[in-house]
Amino acid sequence: MAQEQIGIIGKGIIIRGNLTGGGDLVIEGRVEGQIALKNHLTIEATGKVQADIRAEELTINGEASGNIDATTKVAINANAKVAGDIKAPRVVIEDGAVFNGSVEMEVKLPDDI
Amino acid sequence: MVQTKEVGASHTENTVIGESILINGKLTGDEDLTVRGRVEGELTLTRTLIVEPSGIVKANVAVKNAIISGVVVGNVNATESVELTREGRMVGDIHAPRVIIVDGASFRGRVDMGEVEAGRLNTERPARPVVRATTRTVAPPPKPPPPPTRVEVKAKAPVRPVPQPPAPPAAPARPASAASPAVAEIGKKKIVVKKKTK
Amino acid sequence: MANTVIGSSIVIDGEISGDEDLVIQGTVKGKISLKESLFVEGSGVVEADIETQNVEIGGRVTGNIVATDKVELKSDCRVVGDIKAPRILIADGASFKGNVDMDHKER
Repeated sequence: MAQEQIGIIGKGIIIRGNLTGGGDLVIEGRVEGQIALKNHLTIEATGKVQADIRAEELTINGEASGNIDATTKVAINANAKVAGDIKAPRVVIEDGAVFNGSVEMEVKLPDDI
Repeated sequence: MVQTKEVGASHTENTVIGESILINGKLTGDEDLTVRGRVEGELTLTRTLIVEPSGIVKANVAVKNAIISGVVVGNVNATESVELTREGRMVGDIHAPRVIIVDGASFRGRVDMGEVEAGRLNTERPARPVVRATTRTVAPPPKPPPPPTRVEVKAKAPVRPVPQPPAPPAAPARPASAASPAVAEIGKKKIVVKKKTK
Repeated sequence: MANTVIGSSIVIDGEISGDEDLVIQGTVKGKISLKESLFVEGSGVVEADIETQNVEIGGRVTGNIVATDKVELKSDCRVVGDIKAPRILIADGASFKGNVDMDHKER
């Protein structure tokens, strides 16, 4: 993790377009478009993202719509609202979160099923 | 007999399907059901289904609540909640106003909490990625769907349902509304679920 | 080790099999095959062919019963069907209609 670099997109900011890069990013404002991030993305409670998101790890406290592809984990916390399809090895949906879409994780089923 | 005491304690309150038991067919009931063995077919309860770590349910399920610590393959419709615990593994679609997936659980399928948000999203982004097609072929078990209409609707839906009408009647689309208090939403959810799935 | 209970509100239409004791307080239609004991309690209704080691019936059973050890019909039970088992007990008050076969060699 690139601990030294944490970007913040503040409350008043609106970004339309593609957002790419390394380092952790915290979104408190709005992003519309596409996000491709090497590290950890956090969408805070005030944040609204309408974008396809690719990141290592994603934590959502706010709103997100779009497809999500994370290499480690997606956490949808209690007050988050998320719509879209999620692909990640670990997906956590807390009680109270609103999520509509599909989830694709590796599911190891017994052989005889 | 060793188990008589336990049997007495759970009398009429809780049905337990033991580890070695296999039930193949249709199971309905008005009480909690704990599955430690295997149930295949259809499962309809007005109360809570508990799938313990040793339990396997390969069925379309309609319940009030489901707590899944074992394996479930099939679609689950719950009028209240579905929880996948740390050990839970599930392939299939979930339709419930509350869905909880704990870290460690694994899941493949759709989640529909019957929220307005989804309607909005679908009008904006109608296309779903192709990946989903493969998921869905695995998800719905071969058995016919159980009687509740909700299940039927889902099971018969095309490979890529994009289920919600643009604006479900009970919940007019809220354009990009700020995160309104979750509590207020919860009351509505049930209604939305029912209307939408008629 | 076993304690499978089918509660009184439960209705199963299909097959049940297993290696443990099974207590039925609800309704089971179809087929039951167990390696251990089956208890059909007073509230239990079984419309199924039964294959098991022991059966103890206090409720209603319609179907043929094959037990490798014992079949016990308790008072107040109602059983319609053929019973095949090395040992068969029918209590006073039990109602039973069907054939009884206690031939050991068959099983």
